[in-house]
Amino acid sequence: MSKLFPKSANKLPLQIVIYLAVLGSIATAAVTYYMTPKYTRVGYAPVQPVPFSHAKHVGEVGLDCRYCHNAVDQSYHSNIPTAQTCMNCHSIVKKDSPLLAPVRESYEKGTPVPWVWIHTTPDYAYFNHSIHVNRGVSCVECHGKVNEMDTVTHMQPLSMSFCLDCHKDPAAKLRDPKDVFNLDSKRLVDQGPEGAAKAAKFVHDWKVMPPQSCSGCHR
Amino acid sequence: MKRKFEHPAPSQRELNGPKYWRSLDELAQTPGFKAQLEREFPPGSETSEGVDRRHFMKIMAASFALGGIGLSGCHRPERNILPFGKSVEGIIPGLPQYYATAMPLRKSAIPLLAETHQGRPTKLEGNPTYAPLGGRASLIAQASILDLYDPDRARAHTKDKSEVTTAAVNALLADIAKSFSGSGGTGLAFLAEESSSPTRLRLVRALRQKFPNAIWAEYEPVADEPPIAAAQAAFGANVKPLYHFAKAKRIVSIDCDFLHAEAGSVYYARSYAMGRKLNSAKDEMNRLYVAESALTLTGSMADHRLRLATSHMMAFASALALELRDKLPGVEALQSYAEGVPVKPEWIKACADDLRQNAGECLVVAGSHLPPVVHAIAYAINEALGNVGTTVDFVTVEPSTAASIQDLANAIKASSVRTLVVLGGNPVYNAPADLDWPSLQKSVQQVVRHGLYVDETSALAGTHIAAAHYLESWGDARAIDGTIVPIQPMIQPLFGGLTEIEILARIAGEANADPYELVRATVTTTADAADADKTMRRFLHDGLLEGTAYAKAQVSFNARNAAALLRNAPKFTAIDKNNVEIRFTFDHKVDDGRFANNGWVQEVSDPITKIAWDNAILVSPAFARELGVYPTGSLLQVARVEEGELDSLAREQAHIGEIVIGGRKIRGPIHIQPGLATYTVVVTLGYGRSQAGHVGTNAGYNAYPLRTSDAMYVATGAKLTSTEERYALANTQAHWSMEGRDLVREANYEEYRENPGFVREVGMEAETPSTIGKVGEAMTPQQRAAEIPRGNSLYSTPNAQNGGFDGVHQWGMSIDLNTCIGCNACVIACQAENNIPIVGKEQSLRGRQMHWIRIDRYYSDGEIDAAAFGGEGNKKLPEDPQISLQPVNCQQCELAPCEMVCPVNATVHDNEGLNVMAYNRCIGTRYCANNCPYKVRRFNYFDWNQRQLDSLYLGPLGPHGMPELVKMVKNPEVTVRMRGVMEKCTYCVQRIENGKIRHKVKMAQDGNPADMGKVAVPDGTIVPACAQTCPVDAIVFGNILDPESQVSKAKQREQEYQLLGYLNTRPRTTYSARIRNPNPKMPDYAKQPLSRLEHSRKNEPEGAEEGGHGAEPHAAEPTEAKG
Repeated sequence: MSKLFPKSANKLPLQIVIYLAVLGSIATAAVTYYMTPKYTRVGYAPVQPVPFSHAKHVGEVGLDCRYCHNAVDQSYHSNIPTAQTCMNCHSIVKKDSPLLAPVRESYEKGTPVPWVWIHTTPDYAYFNHSIHVNRGVSCVECHGKVNEMDTVTHMQPLSMSFCLDCHKDPAAKLRDPKDVFNLDSKRLVDQGPEGAAKAAKFVHDWKVMPPQSCSGCHR
Repeated sequence: MKRKFEHPAPSQRELNGPKYWRSLDELAQTPGFKAQLEREFPPGSETSEGVDRRHFMKIMAASFALGGIGLSGCHRPERNILPFGKSVEGIIPGLPQYYATAMPLRKSAIPLLAETHQGRPTKLEGNPTYAPLGGRASLIAQASILDLYDPDRARAHTKDKSEVTTAAVNALLADIAKSFSGSGGTGLAFLAEESSSPTRLRLVRALRQKFPNAIWAEYEPVADEPPIAAAQAAFGANVKPLYHFAKAKRIVSIDCDFLHAEAGSVYYARSYAMGRKLNSAKDEMNRLYVAESALTLTGSMADHRLRLATSHMMAFASALALELRDKLPGVEALQSYAEGVPVKPEWIKACADDLRQNAGECLVVAGSHLPPVVHAIAYAINEALGNVGTTVDFVTVEPSTAASIQDLANAIKASSVRTLVVLGGNPVYNAPADLDWPSLQKSVQQVVRHGLYVDETSALAGTHIAAAHYLESWGDARAIDGTIVPIQPMIQPLFGGLTEIEILARIAGEANADPYELVRATVTTTADAADADKTMRRFLHDGLLEGTAYAKAQVSFNARNAAALLRNAPKFTAIDKNNVEIRFTFDHKVDDGRFANNGWVQEVSDPITKIAWDNAILVSPAFARELGVYPTGSLLQVARVEEGELDSLAREQAHIGEIVIGGRKIRGPIHIQPGLATYTVVVTLGYGRSQAGHVGTNAGYNAYPLRTSDAMYVATGAKLTSTEERYALANTQAHWSMEGRDLVREANYEEYRENPGFVREVGMEAETPSTIGKVGEAMTPQQRAAEIPRGNSLYSTPNAQNGGFDGVHQWGMSIDLNTCIGCNACVIACQAENNIPIVGKEQSLRGRQMHWIRIDRYYSDGEIDAAAFGGEGNKKLPEDPQISLQPVNCQQCELAPCEMVCPVNATVHDNEGLNVMAYNRCIGTRYCANNCPYKVRRFNYFDWNQRQLDSLYLGPLGPHGMPELVKMVKNPEVTVRMRGVMEKCTYCVQRIENGKIRHKVKMAQDGNPADMGKVAVPDGTIVPACAQTCPVDAIVFGNILDPESQVSKAKQREQEYQLLGYLNTRPRTTYSARIRNPNPKMPDYAKQPLSRLEHSRKNEPEGAEEGGHGAEPHAAEPTEAKG
């Protein structure tokens, strides 16, 4: 009886398993890297119609976040300032700068400046700024150190697991409410030995119980 | 197979205009296409035959390939944020704003608060500042927001079918004013709708001064206020009655559907419910007697309901007055009118005695459609019993000086009208048939029409002026008690529409025709100049002008003058099957036809007939038998009729009937409606529009051709025949019987007072051990809500140990069946709040309606037999049933059966007791809907929002996308769901979350450290849409962890029960039993509500006669367990 299979075929099952494992790992790695918010979002820094520098305005001039984003502590939406807000200063400072032409045009004609949207959640997730900034979550937690950015860059994945990490353990991320808009401030837990106790007290006194149910964000 | 669709070619204006002016076919049911659809997809076809599989695969293969290249799906689409150029005062991006406005309808208005998001109104609520309505609104007010965004609205002013500018319209109006100023208006005529607007009244006066010879006529196809002629004769004064049902212990309604069909029905329903609400057995309860021909919502609430033809109401009213002859001197004159009334004398006597015993605290009301003499009798009884000033006030109103449409028609016939201005209305469609209005209108040289739609009337008018919707207009109106309320625009006119007062001002030659200035001038006349600004600001802020209600009049009944009305009064004449009475009623939803193009109102089913998208010729079961349309076979459950009336999908296949009166003929589907007077045939007006728009055109049949000037509301001498033709009716609840089950638990008032907890002795729970076990029974309701007692279950329940319900709130709802009048306002409020799509008639026929809350309607006549389908009692339709209504939304079960079967955890519980639905997880297995005992889950069989209703079966080949205009009505707080996901009532989770967030934000900003931990939202802050609009406060929602909350108190009522509680679902929504209050002296008194009688008959056949449900437990019968 002749051999149907060569001897080398004995190794075939093992080879198949190895190939499949390698292929599977590559696929997993590719999906993890290319298809998750970490890849698709973090680092996104589109060119804006006006090269507005937060580093200059916040870091150097010392504007408070709420000077421009004035609705952030009242509304679900942190508003982009109107051209009028910009013109409060820029009708005096750099009033002829060509870079500010879109702002001046917007102010005069009432047409909006088409800022490119960077940070967003999916349509079925309802994120509310006001509840976060009023209860000890600083801007920096999601947006990074915007006060040091010349071009605003997406720093955190803003994925569901990113949200839930904090919702499961809020004490680790909270700041003193008066430090919320101070992007250089430290989290309570990072403030020396009694920090953790302070954070725990905050969570207890304010009954900080971020929702972990679907209804918290999905409607 | 290649398909070609003939879309109407877009006009130049549409091509150049903003994007949302295209895509008209949204919501569409275009007739041609509908026919095509029916041909291609025969009923019952689940597959999309028309789509060629190979073609589909080819296209899809291409897109799969495209999808693969470069992972294009993973790239972020670039989107923009567009801030204002200049800051707008008061606007916080992302937060809604609320403005006071009002919805005018005929001679009254409903004060509203409009919610706007970034300048677009999305939701209407009642204005709570106006106390009589307490912040409630009606079905129509809720739905009217959709009309604003109706793509079928008139989009431009036209003259001889070509577009003209607003400037040209103004020039035309100025030209009319100029050309008639010499002759004092000879040859000029106006035909307008009724209105309560003080500004319009002022302008009409100015107009008449300027054009004394012009004709000002007003026409409304339906009446919703008692005829003023009755008051003029009875009291010699221009007064109208304003009823206060809350103070009435006994109410007699003479064919008066005050819960729906009368002006002020929201106020009436609300105050009626106040006299009916039972929080404990100590509370008093009113008693309602209703004599009516149709089965109305008021009749469904009656404690004693008398089926009586409308043309016999005069006889009934006379007989009632005669029984009160000791109080009514001179009443003998009515003797001859009362003869022959087919009512047991004891009925009238007992009713009259009851009134007499409650003199000063009772009320007799007559339907607006009845002749003045019946109203005069009602006024006389009310005055004689001392009700005037307590349960009814007479208020002085401005008498109408307008000519009637008949006067106008005569003038047109005499060729004395050269220019006719038709303001609103739709006379070509709804004028009395004997006038032959279409040809009259055509004979007028110049016709100018002002209207929201290019409808039947506009088609026969040379000039059409696009009207502004009331949400785009400045205006004013009077609420039911006369209080002046503002109409404020929420948005610029989408299509450049003009308001009525603007047009009148231009013709009257007012110096300033700006509608805002016109209203301001009216409102601030009384205030001096310094206060004018303040008055106006306050007016707009509050949404009403204090102290402007109609003045109460001192009236005294003048029998001699009133007797003059008797001259025209009808004597009793019998009706029979060859001399049928036709009763014209205006529709529950589309009113007189004006809301026919509103998809929301078309899709909600009529509360009594349960038919959506159509009207029907309603006949009584006895008459149906004579007509030969009575169904055969078992009728216990209509859906199981063996032959004929229903097709394989249990859709009602109605016979087409033909009504003939005096040579006029209409055809429509015959629907058998229990509870009608035997030979009264009810036809509803408002359907069968030929030019309503995509939604309303050809929905139903048109009954207006039967109406003549002398028989506007009821006609006798008609003949109804049935044909062999069939027509499918989208009947959403063909099944009318509770089959002796305990879904709606009812008791008579006496039983309730003796045994307030009777609900625990009805139904399965009485026979089974408590589902929550001894431990659970010992807990307080608050403990039970947080720690779900395990009872005798094998499974563990959510509790503190396993991370169960640990929220600071536990939400719950209570629905009071005793006050629910079934008005459907909650259904539409929910639809508006939660972005619920409409599915069209085709899909409604398949039972795919999407409403998150529905109102079930059951009939019981006490005849149901235990012998399931064999018993004699099960073989006939009830003639004189008691009606039970029950709103059912997601019951938010604590132990939800839907959750156990979801394979992907898309429906799970949150820690506040809500059964939540995560749409983005749902894969559409529909297991949950299958396992839901309440049938409250709704599945998106199609992408209702993205696809046109006439091309659903084309799948990806059909047009895709939602027009901008339709997007504008969506609530941005709620996800718009896509095809393939399940959805259901969420208790308005968006309002809950926002309420919690706003409460915490407010505390943080107030900055009081001691308050920071008080995160529980105060009671009453969070109200779901259904509860917010419920005119009778039947729905109460709140936190059941708070023993002081309204809902906790409601749930502590002894008559509170769980729907299908024995299934151990532990619903968070509970129901309060319905209590009936019959008079033991009445001949039709039943010791128990008929549904209870059926319950006893079915469950204890031998003990049925006693009617009592014994306290000792019985073994559950297998038949019931199956139900």
